[in-house]
Amino acid sequence: MATQGPAVVLTMHGSARMADAETMRTALAELTENQTTLIVLDMTDLDFICSVGLGAIISGHLRTRHYQGRICLVSPKPPVMELLETTRLTQLFSIFPTVEQALA
Amino acid sequence: MQIPSTYEAAKQVEDAVLKELDRHGYDDVAAFAVKLALEESLNNAIKHGNGLDPDKTVEVDYDVDARQITITVADQGGGFDPARVPDPTVDENLEKPCGRGILLMRAYMDEVCFSPCGNRVKMVKCKNCTAQGL
Repeated sequence: MATQGPAVVLTMHGSARMADAETMRTALAELTENQTTLIVLDMTDLDFICSVGLGAIISGHLRTRHYQGRICLVSPKPPVMELLETTRLTQLFSIFPTVEQALA
Repeated sequence: MQIPSTYEAAKQVEDAVLKELDRHGYDDVAAFAVKLALEESLNNAIKHGNGLDPDKTVEVDYDVDARQITITVADQGGGFDPARVPDPTVDENLEKPCGRGILLMRAYMDEVCFSPCGNRVKMVKCKNCTAQGL
């Protein structure tokens, strides 16, 4: 996790299976509790995510709406991007090619 | 095989299946699809079917050969009607944190078949089909 002014960048690695979802949920809950304006999920090194992991991200998104915050995604790998497209979550989250562009 | 209703047990099964896929020369696309569908079906069985009850088990059987992988997952719950699961891709459901498992199973496997009761699912992925069950 890295703080960039009012934004926080969370770097995701490897596989986000259902066993990992609670960790994601807790991390996002803490950030939204602090009303972090922008949460950037860097998916550059994320090889896999399941619907439970996606659900943790959506739960975080719902909490950000209470204070006009937002979550955006960065550089999902092709299989993860296909998953986001299959679930139409590309309609819910802005996706950027780099962290810098997400923070701009 | 029967596994307890825990995420750790599910992970061990997944790892064993992925090892078999690799041994039979399945590519990364197929491996991702199977991993995802298995993860989703095990989550449904453990969390929704068995209610995370450690005293309940999930039955997982799989058969891998040069042509296809067949996986069966069964829980000890009362079952459900897959046809009544709302479409998670419609606008009004996009912000719901759950409900995508069956969509993903159907999108990534070539065959998905539920028992009449709904507490058993059989999935098939052919080795040389293209991505997303096409």
